[in-house]
Amino acid sequence: MDDWKPSPLIKPSGARKKRSWYLTWKYKLTNQRALRRFCQTGAVVFLLVTVIVNIKLILDTRRAISEANEDPEPEQDYDEVLGRLEPPRRRGSGPRRVLDVEVYSSRSKVYVAVDGTTVLEDEAREQGRGIHVIVLNQATGHVMAKRVFDTYSPHEDEAMVLFLNMVAPGRVLICTVKDEGSFHLKDTAKALLRSLGSQAGPALGWRDTWAFVGRKGGPVLGEKHSKSPALSSWGDPVLLKTDVPLSSAEEAECHWADTELNRRRRRFCSKVEGYGSVCSCKDPTPIEFSPDPLPDNKVLKVPVAVIAGNRPNYLYRMLRSLLSAQGVSPQMITVFIDGYYEEPMDVVALFGLRGIQHTPISIKNARVSQHYKASLTATFNLFPEAKFAVVLEEDLDIAVDFFSFLSQSIHLLEEDDSLYCISAWNDQGYEHTAEDPALLYRVETMPGLGWVLRRSLYKEELEPKWPTPEKLWDWDMWMRMPEQRRGRECIIPDVSRSYHFGIVGLNMNGYFHEAYFKKHKFNTVPGVQLRNVDSLKKEAYEVEVHRLLSEAEVLDHSKNPCEDSFLPDTEGHTYVAFIRMEKDDDFHHLDPACQVPPYLGPGCAWQPPGPMEIVSEEEPLPGGGGPGFPLLSEEATLSHPNFLGATPKGGGSPRSRRTDMRPPPGPCGAGPGSESNLFIDCPEGLENRPNLEGLDFFLGWNAALRVGLALTQETAVPNPWTGPTGAHMLTQTHSDTLRHWTRPPLSILFVQISKAG
Amino acid sequence: MSRINKNVVLALLTLTSSAFLLFQLYYYKHYLSTKNGAGLSKSKGSRIGFDSTQWRAVKKFIMLTSNQNVPVFLIDPLVLELINKNFEQVKNTSQGSISQCTFFCVPRDFTAFALQYHLWKNEEGWFRVAENMGFQCLKIESKDPRLDGIDSLSGTEIPLHYICKLATHAIHLVVFHERSGNYLWHGHLRLKEHIDRKFVPFRKLQFGRYPGAFDRPELQQVTLDGLEVLIPKDPMHFVEEVPHSRFIECRYKEARAFFQQYLDDNTVEAMAFRKSAKELLQLAAKTLNKLGVPFWLSSGTCLGWYRQCNIIPYSKDVDLGIFIRDYKSDIILAFQDAGLPLKHKFGKVEDSLELSFQGKDDVKLDIFFFYEETDHVWNGGTQAKTGKKFKYLFPKFTLCWTEFVDMKVRVPCETLEYIEANYGKTWKIPVKTWDWKRSPPNVQPNGIWPISEWDEVIQLY
Repeated sequence: MDDWKPSPLIKPSGARKKRSWYLTWKYKLTNQRALRRFCQTGAVVFLLVTVIVNIKLILDTRRAISEANEDPEPEQDYDEVLGRLEPPRRRGSGPRRVLDVEVYSSRSKVYVAVDGTTVLEDEAREQGRGIHVIVLNQATGHVMAKRVFDTYSPHEDEAMVLFLNMVAPGRVLICTVKDEGSFHLKDTAKALLRSLGSQAGPALGWRDTWAFVGRKGGPVLGEKHSKSPALSSWGDPVLLKTDVPLSSAEEAECHWADTELNRRRRRFCSKVEGYGSVCSCKDPTPIEFSPDPLPDNKVLKVPVAVIAGNRPNYLYRMLRSLLSAQGVSPQMITVFIDGYYEEPMDVVALFGLRGIQHTPISIKNARVSQHYKASLTATFNLFPEAKFAVVLEEDLDIAVDFFSFLSQSIHLLEEDDSLYCISAWNDQGYEHTAEDPALLYRVETMPGLGWVLRRSLYKEELEPKWPTPEKLWDWDMWMRMPEQRRGRECIIPDVSRSYHFGIVGLNMNGYFHEAYFKKHKFNTVPGVQLRNVDSLKKEAYEVEVHRLLSEAEVLDHSKNPCEDSFLPDTEGHTYVAFIRMEKDDDFHHLDPACQVPPYLGPGCAWQPPGPMEIVSEEEPLPGGGGPGFPLLSEEATLSHPNFLGATPKGGGSPRSRRTDMRPPPGPCGAGPGSESNLFIDCPEGLENRPNLEGLDFFLGWNAALRVGLALTQETAVPNPWTGPTGAHMLTQTHSDTLRHWTRPPLSILFVQISKAG
Repeated sequence: MSRINKNVVLALLTLTSSAFLLFQLYYYKHYLSTKNGAGLSKSKGSRIGFDSTQWRAVKKFIMLTSNQNVPVFLIDPLVLELINKNFEQVKNTSQGSISQCTFFCVPRDFTAFALQYHLWKNEEGWFRVAENMGFQCLKIESKDPRLDGIDSLSGTEIPLHYICKLATHAIHLVVFHERSGNYLWHGHLRLKEHIDRKFVPFRKLQFGRYPGAFDRPELQQVTLDGLEVLIPKDPMHFVEEVPHSRFIECRYKEARAFFQQYLDDNTVEAMAFRKSAKELLQLAAKTLNKLGVPFWLSSGTCLGWYRQCNIIPYSKDVDLGIFIRDYKSDIILAFQDAGLPLKHKFGKVEDSLELSFQGKDDVKLDIFFFYEETDHVWNGGTQAKTGKKFKYLFPKFTLCWTEFVDMKVRVPCETLEYIEANYGKTWKIPVKTWDWKRSPPNVQPNGIWPISEWDEVIQLY
């Protein structure tokens, strides 16, 4: 092919042969070319077809895939609209094996920084005195617990010992002193510090500064100490910088069997510290309790709202007792946490319960009351079919028969419109005044501390007019106001089914707790069968009250009620005394006398020779009978010149004053009394008081009294006129029936002596 | 040389491409056969019988739920329809032996079940058990809408959907939550970023495209294809609810912002009005539901819902809308029986019908009937004194469920358009004086009633 040369210059002479040659060639050539062309075209067409089929296939497949999964439109429907931000990555790559820890101790400031992050900083004045303790996870370096023990004050060192003993071995412990931490640091605590390997801790002196980092049960990683040169001055500030080697995660964790429960436990134990044996590797305490179910449980479907703040240890104790109560149904429990605190949420998760966090609104009492409102609304929203809700607080122990008690009594709330609530708490249920777990009363107040709320009451009455955030009212005081309570009463047991153990709180401190709550009786008997529950209905109850009144023996009103002999020393007998009441609230002269004014604290000023209680607010269970049958008392009424002027807001049961007890009763100095801490003053010149007119009475000293009932209840009224300080005016109302039965101005008091003091 | 090369190259190309083409054809055929598999096997449905993946998946799932006490019932519209058609068979098979797999063997991608969340106790354990049984499960969670209405609460997330796949068949478990107003609610199936979008053909799901609301169904136990399942007692009622079940939440956040700006009226009168308006609305809803007449919140009541999630205390009446096609002549009688006497009646069924009933405490119930045109909807108004007619125009809308004062009621899904038509762009600002003849931006004069008709079209009681 290559050597062929077309020759246009061929001469015509030899044209024929040459031409045919040429033609053949040409023919051959064209034929071949055509073939080639044909082949080429064919190939191109074929390729084109392939391409088209390819495209079609691709299109088809794409359509099919998008059809099968999602096309762009539903993608919009189904995709999370909010672009989720990637969680910020931890600095650096790979796990760090060493933490650098800085600890600072001085008179006015302490801080702890781990890897440059400040985990504790306290330079507030008049706060945070004592030994600050931080526990770090030895594998991750996370802060697991942060505590301060004011070891300048008594007993705090005991708490510290308790806490340090609960910390699992291997954890990193950091201690630092602010201001003063040695005054009440006793030998036990010092011995413990020595066992941790500390040199300076056991020798810590007055106003020394001290910083310590060590592994529990392991080596000390750093310690600095500076002695105070003189009584009046502090040690020099010390700054301890040290490296803490991290151990592997496996070492830090226990080897529990792989169950759902242990997974929860592991999550919990790797985050927080200070819950004792729950995180023990060998023999951890159970976190599931499976108490016996109740036969015919009427409160199985009643939601339980646990109102909580940032007291995770309390919450832990509370949930344990709640989940151990017979007839509890865990899926009905919701814990409402006021604030975005992690640790309470961890506790809730440990028990596998539902937890809801609430952004705090407002301050102090109003914050609590807004939290209550949100929690109650949420509870009824979450359980739209529930007619009732049980309201609990994080600092309550729950009796083993709590749900049994409610199951037996809840129908009353449904059937009797004159009821406001059922409460598990008896304000007057002291060790020596309450003894019959089968006995119920009606009271004209709202005791709270574990109670049942009716949906209709909340939705139709309370919720719409709940105090707004700017009103610094206590929700419970507000609920007790006559505008809310409207003469309705609550059912309570003689022996409380809840126990208030909280010592730290907005309205609570150690003294008050010891004075008021410690002596309260708490039922521990399971499966108590309540007696004559239906006689708690309004009509039946009135009949019983009348019967008791008519059988009671009138006390000798010519005697001074402060004398021992005023109340005969007998058992099982009902007495009645009368006081003159011109107005509904005339009783309240008595209250300041019977109780210690808040600003002084219990144990101050007037200490009578022995323990005694005024129990003035309950009604007996009809048909109760038997020895120790409670008596009725309307109210003990006494006044004392000192108090009348001193506090216009006092009165009622101590609980009603909680809000008044802002500062701890410091000036008093003396500790709480040994036996009981509610004391009655028997004022001089009693006889001269005008409004008792010879009907004066008083309850005898040394007689442990059971003053049964009172048809009156104090009601604390947030006083809008005195500003938002939470001041209260107290008014007292009477049971209607009793009022017309007794025809004011004469009121009555029933007193029964259950035993000699 | 180059020419030969070209040819060789061409030939080679042709060869490879034909090989490729063959491969593609084979693949395509394979693909087609799987795609048409559904259609193909449909005809052999009964023959496949109890070996089908569907039936096995459902059986395993039912075993799982009964072992783990998961309270589920069947809500699959297709199966419920089949049940409805073959109800006799359902009854018969419950005693006798089963010869044929009718319900769970129709090949499809999903079978839908509902989970009654409030009856559920063992939430943690079952997921693992399901996975051990061979299910691949996907859990879709979200925040709890029941807490939305309350200031600043944030809870743990609640499960909304579970999708559990066994081989090619998936069980869609829709979590039904109880809401205030005695109804069941399910959430929106929203895929988070990390979720595999090809896990199942999500687009074919029957539930979850929108949140939904359903009446709480009564349940009954039946035996379908040898499997004991709970189904709604009235399966058709449930199936009919499905297409209209879309639910929208109230705009709680905006409502809170509104109250921050304008403060809520908490006077005794306002509370009393709200209470009686709520009672009236409840009574009206009960009456209309009994008649089977769908209605929605209209005018001021709708504005109250949309703007502040509550009844506007100064609105003085409750307004409802009903499509004229749903009009029933016994509405008036039913309301009278419910203790709501007719106060006035304007217009007639053919034109501008409006009914007013007198509730307790001077609260009035207004029912406007809506007339549908091709591109808009309107309702009429009549001035009693002059006989003048007015027309209020609205863009077309569909109806959605919502929750309002502890009730499940309907509102226009396109609420904003509806409200803006009625109240203009400034609907956010509270206005206490409102002239129904002049204030609405969508009002049009619509002539006058002939005097001869006045007796019929203007009735005052």
